[in-house]
Amino acid sequence: MIVLRALVVAVGLVVLWQAVVAVFSPPPFILPPPVAVWHALRDRPDLWRVHAPTTLIETLSGLAIGTVIGAALALAMSYVPVSRRLLLPVLVVSQAIPVFAIAPILALWFGFGIASKVVMATIAIFFPVTSAFADGLARTDPGLIDLARLYRARRSQVVTLLRVPNALPNLVTGVRLAAVYAPVGALIGEWVGSTSGLGYAMLFANARSETAVVFAALFLVVAMSVALRAVVDLATARLTPWAAEIQ
Amino acid sequence: MKRLALAFAALLVASPAFAADKLTVLLDWYVNPDHAPLIVALEGGYFAKHDLDVDLQVPSDASAGPKLVGAGKADVAISYQPDLMLQTKEGVPVVRFGTLIDSPLNCLIALKDGPVKELADLKGKTVGFSITSFQHAYLDAILGTVGLTSADVKTVNLNFNLMPPLLAGQVDAVMDGYRNVELIQLEAEGHPVQAWFPEQNGVPAYDELIYETARDKVSDPRLPRFLAAIAEATAFIKDKPDEALALFLKSHTDLDNDLTKKQFAATVEYFPDNPGELDKAKYLGFAGFLTMNGLLDKQPMLDTFAVELPAAK
Repeated sequence: MIVLRALVVAVGLVVLWQAVVAVFSPPPFILPPPVAVWHALRDRPDLWRVHAPTTLIETLSGLAIGTVIGAALALAMSYVPVSRRLLLPVLVVSQAIPVFAIAPILALWFGFGIASKVVMATIAIFFPVTSAFADGLARTDPGLIDLARLYRARRSQVVTLLRVPNALPNLVTGVRLAAVYAPVGALIGEWVGSTSGLGYAMLFANARSETAVVFAALFLVVAMSVALRAVVDLATARLTPWAAEIQ
Repeated sequence: MKRLALAFAALLVASPAFAADKLTVLLDWYVNPDHAPLIVALEGGYFAKHDLDVDLQVPSDASAGPKLVGAGKADVAISYQPDLMLQTKEGVPVVRFGTLIDSPLNCLIALKDGPVKELADLKGKTVGFSITSFQHAYLDAILGTVGLTSADVKTVNLNFNLMPPLLAGQVDAVMDGYRNVELIQLEAEGHPVQAWFPEQNGVPAYDELIYETARDKVSDPRLPRFLAAIAEATAFIKDKPDEALALFLKSHTDLDNDLTKKQFAATVEYFPDNPGELDKAKYLGFAGFLTMNGLLDKQPMLDTFAVELPAAK
């Protein structure tokens, strides 16, 4: 059902795109028709075989590391309340710094290989995870917590038995956001220093005025984001069966 | 205000027209000494004298200008001769009608105290480059002079962040720095460097910066006047470089420093006296180089990508 819906949306977008091309007939180097992008995807397997895996690995690594760091920070803030007051301002400041501005410096620190892209993706995504998860941990029903204390539950037990299960749906929300942002982080990393990746391919195609190839690379990035998001949705549906979404 | 006054004066004195014709020019990059003829023609009233009201704009990225001109959104774009033929191959309807910089500026730079003393030392080393349309062909030609290919080096795209990785030792050499910009800057900052010029190492000479217009605008009467104004501004720059520099800095006070002055002085020799003149052999030669390296499918006809306009009336 979901697959069908996604297909309908995708086909609808392509039809809209073709309609815009048909009505306004922009030159192909400004907006290529869908068929030209399809040809670029089909005719350049050499390009995609090299560059798509790079970006995928950067994205997955960034997503995994960012989720772990993000969840760990939220847990730390929940276990040790004073750390919340210390960490939160730092986290907010870290998000106020545009990743694009510090990307060249990160490339200098972490080199031009995968590390700098993973760091970039991690920075881009850990905050939504921390923020959502921490909110969930903090908003546990106070009545339940009082009850646990009456039963002399330890602080750690309150966290593991009450707060964490209560916050899992929030963590899921954070990871879903992260799955969509992670490829953006990786791409920014590729923009400032790289030897391969879809961002790298896009820069070159743009310099060569190969607009259809730019769009083809964009399409792969979007497809990757959507697929990641779908995988996260599937995986987390089993994680929080009691908090199923009502359609 | 001054511009308006000049335009008005020009209108009264020199021209039969009622108002100056508007002309939009898209630069390739932020204003820098490479653009001196344009800035001097604007500030010195040369455009106004030829009845032109020129609007200089900086596009979002270096490859946007030709596309916008091809789509009729602007009149003139500054671009690069090597990119021109790839643009026309991809169907962007632009042609070169003038030259801003008549030599390659690009060069390969290494630190004197670094591991690369001569080209052969590049084997197994890391070379950083900025986005160019023909990166491997270029490097292959230079390395070919010492029996290497681009497969013998590791290449890293540094985009707009060329110099710090070289200074930090993360790359052993960089391509795509300009001899009149980055090279001067490194020396001014006290880093002894050496540079290899592509046209002396296997790459045919080309015009680094050119003026492009849409194919359907080649007979536009504004363009010969534009080139005439540029030629006059260039003559002024070569005749009175100090006054020209003052004019250049007047509207770009943020560039008023010793480095700009050194870069300006290093750039003057690359402005052609006759910007409209087309060196046919140079353009065909470079097209041949691109074709040989597989970047063009077949050698294109000259008039499909470069023209020489008749003189201004």
